[in-house]
Formats: sequence, C-alpha cells, structure tokens
Amino acid sequence: MKINEIVVISGKGGTGKTTLAASLIPYLKDLIIADCDVDAPDLNILLDPKIRSTYGFVGLKKAIIDPKKCIKCGLCEKHCKFFAISKDIVLSQSKCEGCGVCEFVCPVNAISMVDAIVGDLYESTTNYGDFVHARLVPGEETSGKLVAEVRKKAKALAILNNKKNIIVDGSPGIACNVISSLTGASQVIIVTEATFSGLHDLKRIHELTKKFNLKTQVVINKFDLSPNHSEMIEKYCSENNIIVGLKIPFTKKIVRSIVKKTIPSIGEKEFFKEIGFLKFIDSLTQS
Amino acid sequence: MRIAVLSGKGGTGKTTITSNFAVNIKNSISIDSDVEEPNLHIFMDMKDPTSEPVYTLYPTINKDLCTLCGKCGDFCNYNAIIPAKNQVVIFNESCHDCGGCKLVCPTGAITYEKREVGKIFKGTTKYNTELYYGLLNIGEMSGVKIINQLKKYSELNEETVFIDSPPGTSCATVAAVEDVDYAIIVSEPTPFGVSDMKMVVEMLREMEIPFGLIINKAGLGDDEIYDYCKDEDIEILGEVLFDKKIAELYAGGKIFSDSLPQYKNFFSDIYKNIRKKRRSL
Repeated sequence: MKINEIVVISGKGGTGKTTLAASLIPYLKDLIIADCDVDAPDLNILLDPKIRSTYGFVGLKKAIIDPKKCIKCGLCEKHCKFFAISKDIVLSQSKCEGCGVCEFVCPVNAISMVDAIVGDLYESTTNYGDFVHARLVPGEETSGKLVAEVRKKAKALAILNNKKNIIVDGSPGIACNVISSLTGASQVIIVTEATFSGLHDLKRIHELTKKFNLKTQVVINKFDLSPNHSEMIEKYCSENNIIVGLKIPFTKKIVRSIVKKTIPSIGEKEFFKEIGFLKFIDSLTQS
Repeated sequence: MRIAVLSGKGGTGKTTITSNFAVNIKNSISIDSDVEEPNLHIFMDMKDPTSEPVYTLYPTINKDLCTLCGKCGDFCNYNAIIPAKNQVVIFNESCHDCGGCKLVCPTGAITYEKREVGKIFKGTTKYNTELYYGLLNIGEMSGVKIINQLKKYSELNEETVFIDSPPGTSCATVAAVEDVDYAIIVSEPTPFGVSDMKMVVEMLREMEIPFGLIINKAGLGDDEIYDYCKDEDIEILGEVLFDKKIAELYAGGKIFSDSLPQYKNFFSDIYKNIRKKRRSL
C-alpha cells in the first residue's frame, strides 16, 4: 500500500500551518498525525493527546572538558570552527556541533564526546488517530534529525496499523528541518497569507519544493486582508502551475476556536464548509 | 547596545516590531538574521544594497595521495565523507565544515574548497539608517554561518543595533541572539503564542540574557499570557492592540507607526526603559 504523506509548510512563520493541518485531521480517515515543528510544536494543544511512550532523542554527541586534566593550551579553542569553546576553555553546549575535533587535538585527553539527550519524542493516542510529536530542548542543534525521526516513527505506525494517510505539520523556514520534512513526502501544502512578506516567502519556499518534484497546492490564508496581494499570489501560482487549493478569509472565529483549544474545522464547521474546505480535502486524497 | 527581537512562534510580529524600533530610535542600525525568510528590508525599503557572498568549506580528495584508509569516514560524525571500495564519496551538503577529516588524514590527501551558502546584503534604508540582512541559498541546510558573519557588523557598531531573529529556538536562533545585551520577545495572546514563548524563555534563561515581552495583537485571544508572565515574573514592556488597520499596513509592506503616529512614543519609551534597566544592572 502506498502511503499518502501530506506535508504542510509555509516558509514564513505564522501564516496558519498548524491551524490548517489541525483542521484537516478530523476529515482524513485512516490517519497518522506527525508534528514536525519540533522547536515550536503546537498541534498537541488542539489534539489533547494521551502520551503512550516517550523516547529520549539523542542528537550528536557533545564535548565535555575535564577541568582537572585540562592544561589550558588553547588548541581546542583554536581548532573549534563553531566558536563553542571560549578563550578560558569553557564549552558552550548549545554551540557544540559534536564534530569531535577538540577531542582529537587535545594533547592530554581532557575532552571526551558523550551522548546528549537533546529532545523527547512522543507517541500518543488522540481521537483522530495515533500522533507522533517531539520537543527539542530549546537552543539545540539537529532539529533536522529529530524531524526525520518523527516521520520515520509515523511511517512505521502507518505501515503497522495499515493507515493510508499521514499528515505532517512542518516548521517555518527553508533549512534543514524543512528539507528533512519534505524528503520522500507524497504531496505538499504551502500555507501563505495575502501580505507582501507572504508572497516574498512563498517564492522562496516554492523554489525549494520544486527540487522535490512533489504535488503542490497553495492555501492563501487571510486572503481578503489585502486582495491586491492575494491576486499577486494567485498570479504567481498560475504562472508556476501551482494549484491554489483553498482561500481562507480573515476571521476572528479561527482564533476564538484555538483559544478554546478546539480544532477550528470542528468548532467552526459552517465557516469551513462555506469556503470549500470539503472539496479541498477531496483533492488531497485523490491519487 | 544590541537588542534581539524574537518570538518562538512565527508570525507574531517580530519584523513589525523590529522595523518600528529601527525607524523610531535615532542612530540605530538593524540586522535581519532570519536568513531563511528575511523580510525586514521590504519594510525598511532598502535602496541599492551591495552584497557579499558567505562561504562554507567542504573536503576534496587528492586521489593520488589517498590510501583509502577510512580514517576520515570514521571521524566524520555527519556522514559527509564516506570511503567506498575504490574512492571516497563526499556529500558536501551534509558537511559541517569542522575541519576534522583533514586533521585525521595521514597522507595529506584532503583539501577544502569553498561553496557559497548565501549572501549578506548591506545598504541604506529609506529612513536613512543602515540595514544588513542575510539570505540563505535555497537547498542549503543551515544559515548559522551567515548569521555569525552578520553579527560581525553588529560588533563594529557602537550605536544601538536591533536584530530581527529567526523563529523557533534551534541553532539559528541561538546564533542570532547570543551576546546580545537584551532580548525582546514578541508574542500573541493565543495558546500557540504562549506555548512557543515558553520555549524562548527557557532558552534565554539558559543563555542568561535579560528579556522583556511585547504583546502583539492584544485583545485578539485570551488571558493565559498575562497569567504566565505573572507566574514567571516576566516584564510586559508594552502591548500593541489587535487592529485590522495595522494588519493591512503590514500586508502592504508598511511600517505602522509611520501611519499611526500615536505609536511613535510607544517604541521610544520602551527603548528608554530598556536602556535605563541596562544601566542599573
């Protein structure tokens, strides 16, 4: 069975990725849910998950300097390309990328590389299906690797339980964690908003998704906030053969629903029906 | 004084707040370190910027010297250099440019070549202030190199520097905010805003950076954020009310205090308050 893995991303933050991803969930059957925005995970707020298992996430190893052995020769500081070791030979955990060069150059073996738990990965039960989510310790590296772990776990659950669909809530930006959420996905939804910044960032994220050759749809959130920019986005999409799958008008109803910790498409069923949400759902499950 | 503006959650108004400070505080310069999706230059209306490339290094192998001993592959923690049967394969996007493979190579077969990961743009804005921003090339894994390079400009300048930071709390954000004198968190009064802000607070406390909060879109959501700030003893520096007019100005790439002058003092007062606090520390 081919798994339909739908990834929701945006480039620009705060355009409504999580709102959209959450809203899709109740309408998709045979579903596994994955939150890959590991340094700002929010889907759990709307899904009320019951955590079944927690796994420590070991990222790259980190250096530890033994001050008793250290002779302050400064070789490690000189060789560290990540500025993780200060002049007085103190290591900054958050800057260490775990390369091991300091351990290698230290003449007195004062440095060792040790496993560091830099996040947690959770497997949970929700009313809408199994949910894989994670939390990176704030300030940590390797979020791309944690994203890959979340997706791997979600896929394994899908295969094990014979589930057809996986929905992935991605992170903003265009770097490692986004690239990591796109690799091997089935289709992508880019959520943008009708603003100057929204258009600017859409172009950049689309440059990235093009490289993956995925079925792509754009959702324009708050499209009526600036009809002018909404038109510019639609024009860009039609020139680049991207389908605008859904346009959502600005409404306080969505925020009100989130404040009540209710999935917006459940809390505001009528509103979603009116904007053609059901048709959009169909487009995601047709192969 | 270097002041970082950050948020955890995307779209709460980092760039909006940074741009309003930048135009209302005299002799300030601004830096956009959200190199994945920089937007500050749009609002500040930067004229004819000049650019410089930012490079990273990756290894190349001199086949005549390589003995396929495998030490480089054993050392590399990023799987960027993998010795195969007949040759050493390099995955240069995975390389973190740590310099380790060259150090361990017993025959001196490894040298480094540079690859552009992005650019830094610098120039003068319509407001006659200096602005620097980084732009990560599409497909690159990390903007940290560009952010570190950008920081050099903030160190050269003795005036006030406002740093628009990337969303989230991962390595790019750490790189952008480390060594700043003060951080302004911009959040919105929604469950998502509060949840993501908590991670930022945790990060800033760990980094021992003093900070305060500006609540943007006040009145839009609920009161959880106020309770949280009270419990955690976090200072609320000010609040920008939710106003469709502000949202529309933002949509059009405009700085709202230009059109709503009642906000001009709002930003200069917060700035004075931060300065005063810094002096008393």
